[in-house]
Formats: sequence, structure tokens, C-alpha cells
Amino acid sequence: MEFSPANLRRHFIPWDAPLLPQAAAWLAGDWDGARPLDLQATWVVVPTRQSGRRLREALAEFAAARGQAVFPPRVLTADALLATGSAAPDVATRLESLLAWAEVLREIDLAAVPEVFPVAPPRRDLAWAWRLAENFFRLQTQLTEGGLGFGEVVAHAGAAFPETERWHQLAQLEAAVVEKLAARGRRESHAARRAWAREPVLPPEIRRVVLLASPDPLPLALAALARWAERVPVEVVVFAPESEADHFDAWGRPLDAAWAQRVLALPEFERRVQLCADPTAEAERAARVVQGYGAAPDGLVALGVADADALPLLESSLTRTGVASYNPEGRPWRTDALHTLLVALAALRREPTFDAVAALARCPDFLAALVARGGATASAARWLQALDELRAEHLPADLRAAREHASAEAPRELPLGLELIAELRAVLEREAFPAGAATALGILFRGRQFDLSRPDDARAAEAAEAWRGAMRECLAAGERFGGLRAHEWWDIALRSFGESRRTEDKPAGALELQGWLELLWEDAPHLVVTGVNDGFVPDAVIGDAFLPEALRERLGLKTNAARFARDAYVFQAIAACRARHGRLDVLFAKNSALGEPLRPSRLLLRCADAELPARVAFLFRPVEAAPTNRAWTRAWKLAPRRAPPPARVAVTGLRTWLACPFRFYLAQVLRMEPVDADKSELDARDFGTLCHAALEAMAREPALRDCTEEKTLREFLLARFEAAARARFGAELTLPLVVQLESARQRLAKAAAVQARERAAGWTIERAEWKFALPIGGLEVRGKIDRLDRHEPSGRRRVLDYKTSDTAIPPHKAHVRPFRPGDERLPEWMQVTHDGRRHVWADLQLPLYLRALDAENLAAGPSVDAGYFNLPKAVGETAVAVWSELTPELRAAADACADGAAAAIRAGEFWPPAELAPERDAFAALFQHGAADSVAWEVAR
Amino acid sequence: MSARHVMILASAGSGKTYALTNRFVALLARGARPERIVALTFTRKAAGEFFDEILRKLARAAREPEFAAQLAADIEQPRLGPADFLRMLRGVVEAMHRLPLGTLDGFFARIARAFPLELGLTGEFEILQEHASRLERRRVLQRMFARAPDGLDTAQREFIEAFKRATFGAEEKRLAARLDAFLDEHQEKFLAAPAAELWGEASRIWPRGNAWLAPRRRKLADAVADLQAALARRALPPKQQARWDLFFAALPEWSPGAPLPRALEYILENALAVWSDVGRGCAEMTVERKRIALTPDECADLATIVREIVAAEFTRRLETTRGIHAVLRGYETVYHDAVRRGGKLTFGDVQRLLQPDVSGESLTRAAADEGEGRLFIDFRLDAQFDHWLLDEFQDTSFGQWSVLRNLIDEAVQNPAGERSFFCVGDVKQAIFTWREGDPRLFREIFEHYNRMAPGAIAEKHLVQSWRSGPAIIEMVNAIFGRGDALAQLFPGAASEAWNREWRAHESARAQLASHAAWLHAADEPERFALTVRLLHEIAPLERGLECAVLTQTNATATALADYLRREGGIPAIAESDLRVGTDNPLGAALLALAQAAAHPGDTLAQEHWQMTQLRAVLAAEGVATPEALTQRLLAQVHADGFERAMEFWLRRIEPTLAPADAFSRERARQFVAAAALFDATGSRDVAEFVAFMERHTVRDAETAGVVRVMTIHKSKGLGFDVVVLPDLEGQRLDQRRGGLAIQRTPERAVEWVLDLPPKLFHAQDETLSEHVRAAEAEACYEALSLLYVGLTRAKRAMYAISKPAGTSESRNYPKLLTATLGAHEQEIRIGQLACAGGWSAGDPAWMTRVKPPAPAAKSPEETAPIASAEQWRVPRRAARRPSSGKAGVIDAAQAFALEGGSAADFGTEVHALFAAVEWGGAETVGRFAREWSARGDAAAQALACLRAAELAEVWAGGAGREVWRERGFEIVLDGAWVTGVFDRVVIERDAAGRARRAAVFDFKTDRVATEEEIAAAVERHAAQLNSYRRVAAVLAGVAVAAVTCELIFTRGPHRRTVPPG
Ligand code: SF4
Repeated sequence: MEFSPANLRRHFIPWDAPLLPQAAAWLAGDWDGARPLDLQATWVVVPTRQSGRRLREALAEFAAARGQAVFPPRVLTADALLATGSAAPDVATRLESLLAWAEVLREIDLAAVPEVFPVAPPRRDLAWAWRLAENFFRLQTQLTEGGLGFGEVVAHAGAAFPETERWHQLAQLEAAVVEKLAARGRRESHAARRAWAREPVLPPEIRRVVLLASPDPLPLALAALARWAERVPVEVVVFAPESEADHFDAWGRPLDAAWAQRVLALPEFERRVQLCADPTAEAERAARVVQGYGAAPDGLVALGVADADALPLLESSLTRTGVASYNPEGRPWRTDALHTLLVALAALRREPTFDAVAALARCPDFLAALVARGGATASAARWLQALDELRAEHLPADLRAAREHASAEAPRELPLGLELIAELRAVLEREAFPAGAATALGILFRGRQFDLSRPDDARAAEAAEAWRGAMRECLAAGERFGGLRAHEWWDIALRSFGESRRTEDKPAGALELQGWLELLWEDAPHLVVTGVNDGFVPDAVIGDAFLPEALRERLGLKTNAARFARDAYVFQAIAACRARHGRLDVLFAKNSALGEPLRPSRLLLRCADAELPARVAFLFRPVEAAPTNRAWTRAWKLAPRRAPPPARVAVTGLRTWLACPFRFYLAQVLRMEPVDADKSELDARDFGTLCHAALEAMAREPALRDCTEEKTLREFLLARFEAAARARFGAELTLPLVVQLESARQRLAKAAAVQARERAAGWTIERAEWKFALPIGGLEVRGKIDRLDRHEPSGRRRVLDYKTSDTAIPPHKAHVRPFRPGDERLPEWMQVTHDGRRHVWADLQLPLYLRALDAENLAAGPSVDAGYFNLPKAVGETAVAVWSELTPELRAAADACADGAAAAIRAGEFWPPAELAPERDAFAALFQHGAADSVAWEVAR
Repeated sequence: MSARHVMILASAGSGKTYALTNRFVALLARGARPERIVALTFTRKAAGEFFDEILRKLARAAREPEFAAQLAADIEQPRLGPADFLRMLRGVVEAMHRLPLGTLDGFFARIARAFPLELGLTGEFEILQEHASRLERRRVLQRMFARAPDGLDTAQREFIEAFKRATFGAEEKRLAARLDAFLDEHQEKFLAAPAAELWGEASRIWPRGNAWLAPRRRKLADAVADLQAALARRALPPKQQARWDLFFAALPEWSPGAPLPRALEYILENALAVWSDVGRGCAEMTVERKRIALTPDECADLATIVREIVAAEFTRRLETTRGIHAVLRGYETVYHDAVRRGGKLTFGDVQRLLQPDVSGESLTRAAADEGEGRLFIDFRLDAQFDHWLLDEFQDTSFGQWSVLRNLIDEAVQNPAGERSFFCVGDVKQAIFTWREGDPRLFREIFEHYNRMAPGAIAEKHLVQSWRSGPAIIEMVNAIFGRGDALAQLFPGAASEAWNREWRAHESARAQLASHAAWLHAADEPERFALTVRLLHEIAPLERGLECAVLTQTNATATALADYLRREGGIPAIAESDLRVGTDNPLGAALLALAQAAAHPGDTLAQEHWQMTQLRAVLAAEGVATPEALTQRLLAQVHADGFERAMEFWLRRIEPTLAPADAFSRERARQFVAAAALFDATGSRDVAEFVAFMERHTVRDAETAGVVRVMTIHKSKGLGFDVVVLPDLEGQRLDQRRGGLAIQRTPERAVEWVLDLPPKLFHAQDETLSEHVRAAEAEACYEALSLLYVGLTRAKRAMYAISKPAGTSESRNYPKLLTATLGAHEQEIRIGQLACAGGWSAGDPAWMTRVKPPAPAAKSPEETAPIASAEQWRVPRRAARRPSSGKAGVIDAAQAFALEGGSAADFGTEVHALFAAVEWGGAETVGRFAREWSARGDAAAQALACLRAAELAEVWAGGAGREVWRERGFEIVLDGAWVTGVFDRVVIERDAAGRARRAAVFDFKTDRVATEEEIAAAVERHAAQLNSYRRVAAVLAGVAVAAVTCELIFTRGPHRRTVPPG
């Protein structure tokens, strides 16, 4: 392409002032301002969409200065030129090409292309094929920039090309794709572009074409321009003084060799180039500069972001300083609520698991549909709460199980919501893609309206439109490419929707966040560029699976040297046009956001050799460590709501109070209880409850009173357990439940053996599941005794409590704990001396049981023992553990403690809290650096 | 620099970086191209510093002739001068983007990216960071637990079986938690040895058989009955009899794998103590301090019982190990399918991909073969690697080495001698063996290459410390130079390896006032208190000294930093990983808020956020009920992600924070940054978000002017003026690291894996005992390394604080210090402070000789706004597009409908048709009627409009009439930049060609029928048309009053004039 047709002409716009006004004036030429500025016969090729927008604005401004308006030229990027030029009804869309690629990759005999696939992939499913298809499509695009197809690579790669065979085989693959498309009446799009560029059509009314300030145009587009230059003037406008002519080629591209070695000038270098610790620091510094310009910074200062990943940081920093910003790249629809909703619908369609239900249940549009259906009093919060409760109680595997378990007492939102989900599921299952998707959305949005004057509705309408586009594209492609399953179409459509972007108009006054290549077109006097680090400016490709640098060079594709030349030129131009009226500030970071070390851009090192050592010392200096003032500080203390003390508590409540009165308050008075959001299995309490149910049934069964047969007892226990489990979870169990229930069975089986032995030893169950309520002081203490046993030979009795904790606990250890430093502050009655050592009461369960027996005068006769029936995870340790250390003195002390605790609870003594290790504290989330310090208890709210 | 290949054993502070950078410069000086020098290290930070150091060194040499001369001499190229170094500097700077200088992980990823299909990958991949991999695990587990509609599938049922085997004897209550722990514990081990036959396979562990597992002739029950009867006949003393009774009672209850009850253990221990006698049939066994002479029959019975127990335990452990393997395989299968195949790899995955497989085939090896099947690493990576520089070589794992080996072999064996290998490390600082660091490699590689070509690699020891003053070096020598004491304390491989590598250290800073001491403190409170007193006495910050307090664990670091701040008033920061989401009230409340929104029944979360400022802040925003919270927050999160949602609320909370509370503001920023990281995963799930934030950690930025508290592990590579080591208590040093036992061959291939039985059992087997001995030696060596690293961080002063070992037998750090430094307690002075201790050296008043710090150099000023910018302000106008008409209300359900097309599409089509019409007339209508015949509703409607009498004037041509069709314009109007397109404008010109009047026609395809609807539509579009009127006036060059504007409603059609307004 290094030829100059007669009509190809270069023009230079000097860089001592900003480009835009000069470009507008240049395009206007000798326009006298008497009539509208009419540029309809001109096509202008610009580097980016954003620069095109800027150009049109500049033209309007230029005409306005003479009270006129503009009939604008057609402004488009090189890529758009090729795309619109080669567009035709029979050209395959990207989606169709990917489908063709995927088909080829799944059908072809991989052994025939061993150089491309040296090892066989594990499974050739669509996901595999699709990812590869995208890779190959991208590769096609890269080669097409240089006007090449896969088949032409070897010929252009020249001698001693090490991967000849591989590219031959890649060419076979591409040919198969072209053929596959042709068989369906479609033309491969890259081939179509290349073909068009060979014979580009120019509308007859176009009388000149301008390539405007494009340092890096697509070579293929240049081929088209070259053809046009045979007919109409093609004018290449370079933003540089005429004296720089030698540094550019005929197309206005900076010459590699000319820019590789040249010195780039930035006045006051050491003041203008600033080292920051990381992208966050850069963003904050840039935001401070903007802030310095007061209320209307737009037009005075502009921001460039060389590191695209840092863009959100800059957005945040500006927002914090109260400056509106605008990202011309837009946001991908993947981040939109509609995408999340669609993903949830797709999951529901694929498998109506309960997780899929729960995910859909929280989509705002679903909530809106639910509330719309339920009428004015319907509540989203109630629905979610009921759903969580359903999960906690029944662990349903899927939607059907959930509907079966939804109890009649549940709030009405529960059946309503589940029914809506079932309806959606039915539609999605019944109808093919995309019809099912459209119908389901129709159901969800029925009766809703998008009021386009409201920003969020307008955005929702745009999202709907984008999604509809994706659906239709799939529908059209599906007519040509069958054989995909519904979930595959869903995946494809979601990808396509998710990757497309939403671009908004720039809000007035918002500061644009521009990429490096846009900056050539920026005209604000003060330009601050962040992320001027090597790898961002210039970017470089080091190593590639298909197109490494050496091959790019051979093929005439964009090389690292060309990137350097382009960026060196941009740097020089944006610095030069501010030398007189403005300033360029360059920020670069020492480390990336993830802590990787970064290096300053090589552009910054393009100085005279004599200056290099000083420049290196300046740029590579360590960043000053920030002096810190960030000692841990408490933002606030918690102010818990105050509620009156309870009149009754459960026996276990006393244990809670003894462990920590404040947490007792939170749990028992404020009723604070967490929800395990993705509960997928029984928790310890569920596990105990289920085992208890079977054991209680056994105790209450008269026929088993005297049973000493392990087998009979076991069968009974397991049958009862089975019944209880089935009632709660249904017949269809999830994997964790299967494991847990089996574990429970093992424990119960062992308990049967122990029970048989105990009975044989003379112990009969006298009473079981016996509820009591003991008045202690002003407090009613409630409890339930699992069983009361009587030893027939001796007449002794014992109360037993079943324990399913993982390790067998000796009752004594559970009830009293050793005295620890700091326990001195505990009231006398909480302390007890036993075996000559001081202890503290931790639980009063068994003594209270005995006290309840006393109250019924059942404790007459020989003393009553108390203990646990332990069912630990090491089933070998299943046994009755009697509290042998329980002396009358100890019992008396326990009673005193119960009296004290009851009185304290009635008196509302819930302070101070105990300091617990976070891993053993259900309320750990509330406390940082000490529970007592975290709460302002005295400040009533 | 004389030898081509060099291995440097660099003791702490001996100038490792200096040696590395010199090597790099020397290679450049000999003409090596910088992009051909591979320099690899472990951390990104180290790689960054290494590069900066090279540049700084070259830059200085290019500027300062004396420095250049010194450098030239150091690299044995005395003729080089500043100009040469400048040239090298330029060369490095220009090749900056191509330098293979970085981390091993990064280097491996770069290779893998160039060969995805060769590695069985599907195209490109992303590196899964720690936070994302946690999320993936959660999802994989959810996927495993999900139930197919027709019940559990085979894989799930197999998994259940495997889990049962893996946890035999423990009927677990909770699966998920157990599995999570399982994966934490065993996943890496599985990935290192995925083959099932390596796990719990007796024939691999005991190739020649295991006597314990031999088949037994007698039944256990018989032996038990016989022995019980025999003992009963003996009428043993009650205490002895009781022991036996307990034993027999416990025996049937015990299941192998479960902890051994004391009753069993007791008899077993005593029987095993005389095991060979038992075997011979005459044993005297001790029970309750009395001997029992067992008869041959009793011996036989006892032997049967013991064998049975031991065999059962071994068998169970084998079985459990296989179960663990099957569980991990079940998880891995799903994980692999869902995550790795989806293109998400961890650095570990990448390395494993590149490692030679079992057959020894390796990607990197192929590069050596010039013939068939050669992989073009140099081609695809755009690089050729001539020189290799490896840093911290003691931390290199065998796996990493096996990837590099072939490439380095090429360099070492290069006959032309143009390529080289250089590595540096310190086997005394091998504190990462738990991360597979393999200090033995150093010696092995050295010997390997030298065997192939004697003298191929030169070895150098650097023992002079440029960091530590003489007193500190004296203490290091006093401890670690005591080979005899070490050998006595830790006989065997650990001390042998240590003593072999040990060289006496020297300080290169003989003039530096320094002090080192071992101070005594009885327990943790005293050690903490002494730390405070020391720091008060030394006042390091006031003197401008860097100070670190080093601990063994993060937990201690956090606690100690807290203590120093609270009790000592010392600005101390624990450089542990900070849980920024939950370690402060602000973050915790925000998480509660999110949780409460998504799970309104979570009363813990609901009450929590209402106990905070959030209550007032949300109320001010109209959020006062759970319902409002759920709707508001979920909508925010779904629309914009967690980052923006959280940022929104944080901005409103900010004013309620105390003005001086920089900490909470910092946390707020970190919270938002973490939320952004989470958003990048694409999830909008609140539970996932909360779980993510609870785990998310941030490493605090290095901060100046504080006492830094950190683990010894984190301090590696750093140096401080003052170091305090107050956390040296703990368990014995030769304690095997827990978990599965993995036996490897000398080539590091996994030989077998076993869930090791307790000591009583494994001690009975030589194979297992040997494994344990080796593991203990390895642990012990690492413990010595850890202390060495801790001590050698200090420049001027080093204070170790522990209790004196006293009579304790535990071979822990205090014992080690006592054995080497001595047991005499003495008074030790530090400045004015006197305390008890065991050893000291140097200058107790060293701190008084520290020169006060020079005032900090002024950092370059920040950029400020341009004062005179206003005069150069460029116009930035609001952009308006009158026709884009973002107004009106549309039916939401209809917006998703597939069929029927959108109103917009229909409108576009009608507009396109009209654009083709220049003027009307019968002939034109006839032509379009033919052309459009097959074009559907839009064409029909357009045609109807062409024919409608009411619209005749719209299409009427004639002399002096000019038409603009679909014509775009740009204009500045009322200060705004207006862009638009006219549908149709007809201009009437007079004979002179001057425009007299213009008519703007705007086509609307709205569904309007009744007069009211039409009137409403005219009302709606009036503003747009009136701005068109003004634009048309400018463009046509007529007065605004001469422009008429008409709306053409194509359904109908209807024509309405828009009054000027
Ligand atoms: S002991 Fe035997 S007979 Fe009696 S209930 Fe049990 S199984 Fe039946």
C-alpha cells in the first residue's frame, strides 16, 4: 500500500494549537458563512467514534460563530467504513460465523489437523467449541485488518516460517467454515470485507474523502481509500506541522523508525510527570486537580485514562469529589439487572433447583411482578422471609419439593410467588428459545409500563430492546443452524446480550473519561492523563499463540514498533498543542491495583542520552511511604434497642445468660437470629431435633418399655426417624441430607444397642418428654425432660437428656467450668467450689430438671441421678453418662445460681458482655475490638 | 564473574540483590541482549525492586565515573566507563517491555498463553485470584449438592460412599463444613498426586509386605476369651485386674480410626514394649508397675489381640486414605469441568500443566529438539532465552524446577558457551517448605551439573553481612555456629544438613554501634510488657529508626500490635492481612444491611444495622421498613452492582463520621474497592457478596513512622534497625507438620499417601517410622531457618525475649537458646533499662549514638490547576437530539415481545420508504406501488400516505420547490449543541433563487386514532417541531415566521399544523 495515487494528498495541521477547531476550519475550506456549511458530499474517516462526535460538535461550533448551521459530512471510523461498505443481506453475522465455527470444530476429525490440536480436547461440547470459535473469529479479524485470510498466511510469511503446516491446517478449518456458511447461502464476513475493500463502492454524490488525524487506521480501509483515490480526491490530514512531514507516511501514519529514536519534549518534565503509589492514588490526585477548577471543570480540564481497568477508580474518585463523569465506552449489559434476571430464568429453565428459585426470587423485576399480582398489601420482604424459612425447615431440593412443603400457615406471598415461578418454569420448558424467554418476560412484566422520562425506566426499555435484538438474532440464526439445544441458545443469547454495551449521551457538564487514543482530539487547555505506564502506553504484545510479533512483522500487521511510534506521536502532539496555552500532566503508578510492580512508560524515557541517567533516577525512584494516621478507630458504638426483660425463659436460656448476659439479651429479648442464606444441610439443631423425635417415640412406646432386643429397638428407632425425616424433607433428598441422615441412623442404631443394654441392666423408662414450668423468683423457667429412668432392682431413678454433639460430653464439664482470671467480678452465686477448686456455673440444665422433679415430689426415695445419653459422632462412645460428681452441695449451689440468675434476668441485668473468641460467638459480626467496647449500653435509644 | 555458571549461597544481608544486579550488568557488558536474560524470583515486589535496582545502578554508573570504575571492577570488566554504562542503560530501557524479568508464576503463565491448544486448554485463560477461587469452590459444592430431578446420579452416590469411607468412625453431622476443611487440608496434595493407586495402597507402602497385615490364624474372639479366662485364673491384684477388665470392656467398643481409649492404649503400650518377647512366647509385661510373666499361651493370645488391633488400625487408615482420595476426586471432577474448562486457572494449575507428565514428556523439553515435534517457544514468545538468573533459589519447588530444567539444561550444556545459569539463595532461610519450597535442590543441581561436566558450575558463599552490626552477627554465630549443641539437641538429618551449610558470619559494618541480647520473661503477658518497656527505652521512632516486632503467627501479631497501642501508646501496625470488610463497625453494619435486604427474616442483621448510624441515614432516604429496604437495596444492587450501591450509602454515612476519623474513611474506600472486585465476578448474590467480604483481606500499605508488627515469614527480605522477637515459645521444633503423610522418591515423585495412624501404631512399622523421622527432620530444619531469618532482620539491635528453658525437656526455641547461649541468668542493660536475660553482646547504649534523622527530602509538589485557564476555556455544550424523543410511556411486556416488531422498527421502515420519494404524482405513486408491493405493512401504510388527498401538498413538487429528505444537521441553538435529522423539508424559492418559505414535515407512526389522541400527540411533539422550525429557518435562510411545521400521522393518515410556540 506504499503508493501514492494522484488524488492522494497530505495536509498538515500544526500542533501548536488544539486539533479540533483547526480541523473544522480546514474542512470548511473557503466557506464564506453566507449559507449553511454544507459538507454532505464529503466522507470523513476518523480514528474513533468519540472523535467523530467531537468533530461534528466542532463543526457546529465553527458554523455557529458565523450564525450558521451545518449539513454535516458523513463521519465514520475505518471499521465502520468497512462494515457498512461490505454490509449486504447475505453476509453472515458474527453469530452465524461463530455457529459455523462451532459446528466445524465439533464435526471435524481433529486427527486431520494435528498441528492445530496436538492434544485431543477432553470433551468437544458447545462450550469448548464456542470459546475456540471466538478465538478463531478474533484471529480472522486481526488478519483481515491486514487484508489476509488464514489461507494467505503461509504465502506472506516468507521463508523459514516455522509454523507452515499449522497454518495450512488452520486454513483448512477456515475453508470449512466458509463452505458451511455458503451451504446456507451466507458469505463469510471477513472475506466479504476483504472483497469489498478490493472493489469498494463510493456513493456517487460523494466528491471527496478525508482521512482525518488517524495515526493508526486499519490497513484494509486504506486499501479501499487507495481505490477511491483513483476517482475522487482522498485527503490525508496529519496533526503535525509541515516540518514534520518526514516523520509520516503517505497515509499520515507515524513512521516506526522516525519515532523510535526521537526525543519527545514535555516542558517542565519533573513537575509534569508524577509518580503515584497505585491507580487509586492516581485517581485521587486527578480528582483533586479537577476539584481545583470549581463548579464547571468541563472545558478547562480533561482526563485521559491509559489503563482501562483504572476507569472505575477514577469514576469513584470523581463521584466522591462531587464531579459528574461520563464513560463513553458505556457499561456492558452484563452488569444490568435484566441480565441477572435472564441468568436466573435460564437457570430455572435448565433445572428448577431450589437455588435457582432463590436466585430468581430476589430479582427486583420478579419482586415487582409478585407485588403486582398480590395487590396492594403484598410484601416482597415477607415473601423472601417465607422462602428462607421454607429452606431452613425443609431443605427442598427443587421447586416441586418447595411447593409441596409450603405450609398453609405461611404468608400468602409464598404460594403466590412459587406459583409464579412454576408458571415461568412451565413456559420456559414448553416453549423453545427464544419464544419461551419472550413469553416468560411477558408474564413478569405484564401490566408494567416503562415511563421513558424516568432514567431507570428508560434504561430498562433500552435493555429490553437490546435483549430483544439478541433473541431475534438467535431466532434468525437458528433458522440456518439447527441442532443446538435450548440451553445452548440461552448461553449464546446471554453472551451476546451481556457483551453488548449501553452507551448513553454525555450529560451536560460531565467530565469525559477518555482512552489514550482519544486524546489527540481533546482540546481542553489542561489535560491530565493517568496510567502512563509501560504496557498501557504503549501497549505491547509479547508472545501469542497464533500471531507472535515475528509473524505480525512478516504479515504487515500492527507491530509493537508501530504501536510505539503511534503513541510517541500522540504523546508529542498532545504535549505540543498545550505548550503555549495549557498543560499536560502525566501520572503513572508504581504498582497496579493488585500490587504488581509497574514501570513508567517508555515514552517518558525518550530523552537525550545525556539526560537519561537523571531521567531514570527520577522515574524509578521509590514512592514515598505515606505517613499514617490510620490507627484503628471506632466509627460508632452500637445502640441496641431497649426492651423489657422477659417473664419466662427456657432452661437453655439460663445457659445463654450465664455465658453472656448481653448476648442473652440479643438472642432472647431482641430475638436476633441469623438466616443461613444458603443453607444446604441440617444444622446442629435440626440434627438433634430429628434424633430426639425418634428417641422420644421410643420412650413413649409402651411395647418397647421392656425391650432388650437391640434389633427391635433399632428397627423402631429407624422407622420413626425415617417417618420424621420424610415428613420434614420428603422422599427426595439432596446429597448432604443423604449423608447426614445416614449419619443420624448410625448414631441411632448405636443408641438402640445402648438402650437394649441399659434395659437389660434393669433401667426402665418411667416417663418421657415431660414438660415443666418452674417459677424461680419472678421468672418462669420452662423445660422438657427427655426421660426419667427407674432402676428396677434398686428403685433408683435418673433423668437423662439426649445429646447429639460431636463429642460425648461428661455432664460435670458441661455444667461447671474452671475459674478464669477476670471471673472475680462475677456474683458469688455464680461461683462454686468443688473438689477444692473454684468453678463457675456454665449450665443449670440437669439441676433444674431435678428441681422440677422435686416440685412434683417425684424425687422422694433414693436420690435421683442425672446425666446425658450421649450420641456422639464416634458412635463407639455412645453411652449414658451419669453426673457422678453431683453432690447435694453442688445441687444446692446450682439452685442458688438459678435463683440468682432468674432474679438478674427479671431485673434486666444484661451487662457487661463476656469477651468471646469470634469463632465461638454467634454475634461476632457486631463486635470489633471487644464486645463491651463495641456497645453503648448506657445510651438508651 | 569468571565462571559461566554460578551458584551463590548468600547468607542473610550479604548482598544477594547486589550480586544479582551485578550479574545482570556483567552479562550486558559482555554483549548479552537484555531481552534474552531471564531473571525470575518469587514475589512481584522483589521482581520490581530488582529491575529498579538494575536501572539505578546503570544510571549511577553512567553519571559518576568513580562509581562506574568500581562497578567495572566488580564485574571484572575494568575497561568499561560511564559511556558504556549509558549505552547499556539505553538498551535496557528500550527493551523494557520485552524483558523476561518477573515471577516464576508470571513466566509460566506467559508460556502457557502461547501454547493453549498444545496444553489442552480452550484458547485463552484467566488467572483465578484467591478471592475468586473461594467463590468458585462454593459454586462447585452447590453444584455437587444439587439434586437431579430423577434422584442422585451415580457420581453423587459414589461421592457419598467415598465420604463415608473418608470419615469412617465419625458420623459427621455437617457435610459442607467438613468438606471445606477437607479441601483446605488435602486439595493441593491431591493435585500433586491425583492417581488413585498412590493413595492408601498397602502394596506401594510396603512393597515387601507388612507383617502386621499378614493373615491371622486365630479368631480374635477366641483369643480374647482365652486370655480373659487365663488372667482370671491368675487372681491378679485388683489394680492390675482392673486394667485388664477395662481393656476387655473397651475392646469391642473401639472402632479403628477413632481415638484410642486410654484403657486400650495402656495395655497396648505395655504389650508392645515387650513385643519381641511376646512373639517368642515368654514375656514379662508391666501392668500397674508390676510385672506379669505371661505363659506361652497367654503370649500367643495377647499377640493375636495386639496384631488384630494394629492390623485393624492400619487397614482402616488405608481405607480412609482411599476414601479421602475418592472424595477429592469427586470434587475435582466437577471443579475441573466447571472452572478449569471454563478457562479459569490458578497459578498452580498453570504450573502443573507445564510440568512434565508421568512419561517425562514436557513442553519445555521439546524446545531442545530441533527436529520433528519441536515446539517453537522462541517463536511464539518472541524471545530466545540465553541467560538464566534465579533468585531465592531455596524456595523453588521441585515442580517449578522441573518446568525450567530443560530450558536451563540447554543453557548449561550449550557448547558455544554463550549461555549461562546463575542462581542465588540461602538454604538457611528455607522457611517455605510448606509451600513446596525445596532447599535440597540447591545441592542436587550443583552436583548434577558438575557430574556431567566437572567444574561446570562454580559455588560461592557470601558470609559478610552488610545489614547487621557486629553484635547481631555475634549472636547469630553464637547460636547457629554451635554445631555440637545443635547436633546434640537435634540428632540426625536436620542438624547435619544445617551444620554442613553453615559458615561463620561476619559483619561488614564493624563500626556500627549495635546490641543483641536474649532477655527473659516468664509468660506472654510479661513478654508483651517487656516489649513495651524496650520500645519506650529505645524510642526508635523518635530517633528515626525503623523498628519491627516479629511474631510466629498473625494472631499474635494482631494482638501484640493492639497491646502496644493500647498499653504502650506506641503507634504500631500489625502487617497482617486485614479483613477490611468486617474488622470495623462501618463495614460490618453495611454487610448486615445487605444481608437484611436480601434475607428480611434475618433478625440478627436487621437489628444490627438499626443499632447504627445507618438507621438515621436510611430513614432520611425514606427507608424505614424491612419492605422498603428490600426493595430499595436489591434494586440498587441489581441495577448497578454492589460497588455503586455501597458507595451510595457510604457517601451518606460519611458526614456522620468524626472529622478526625481517617481510619473509617479509609475502610470505606477499601470496602468499595473490594465490592468492585466482587462485582467483577458478575454475581449479584448478596449471600455470595457477604461471604466474599468476610474473607476478603487487604495487605496494609507500607507505612512510615510506625512500629511494624508482623510474622517472621513476612519479614523475609526486609531489614530493620531494631528487631524484637517476643514470640519464641511454642512446641518442639522437630514436630512433623500435621495432615496426610506423603512419601516421595528421591526424584520427588509421590510414592504413597497415607492418613498416618497415631504414634503408638506407626512406631511399630519401620517404613512409617522412617517417614516420620524424615518429616521431623525437615520440620526441625525449617524451624532453625525461621529463627535465623528472624535474628538476621536486625541492623543495629536485636532482642529475643523468651522464658529460660529451665528444666523443661521440650526441644523448643528457649531450649535451643539455652543450649547455645548458656543458662546463666544475668542482668542486661539496654540504655537505662535493666532486665534479666541470658546473653548479650555489643553496646547497651547504642541508641545514644544514633545520629538524628535528616529532615525528609521534599517531595515534588502536586499538580495544581492552571491559574489562567479560564481564558482558554473551550466550549462544552449540552448535547440535544430533539428527535430521539425520550418521552412517553410504553408497555413493558410488549417491549420483550418477539413478534410484531417494535414500533421503532416499523417507524424506521416507513421513514426509509418516504426518503425515497422526491415528489408525488400519479406516475410516481404507480412506480412505488409496484416496487413496494411485497414489502408488508410499512409499505402499505407509506403508499396510503402517498395516495391520500389530504397529504397531496406534502409531496407536491413544482417550480421553485426544493426538497430535503432525511437530512441531518448540526447547530448550536440556545447554547446547546443540537443534532438532528429532518424527515422532509420543502423550500420555496423565488425566481432569484432566494428562499421565501419552508415547510417542515415530520412523519409519526404513533398509534393515534381519536381526535383527543391526535391532539395529545401534537402537544407532545410540539417542542420538537418548534426547534426544527428554528433550525430550518437558519438552514434555509428564511425568517422563523416563514417556516411552517406539520406533523403527518401516517396511520390515518392525518395532517396537523403545529402552531408556533
Ligand atoms: S425384648 Fe424381644 S420380645 Fe421384648 S420387645 Fe424387645 S424384641 Fe420384643
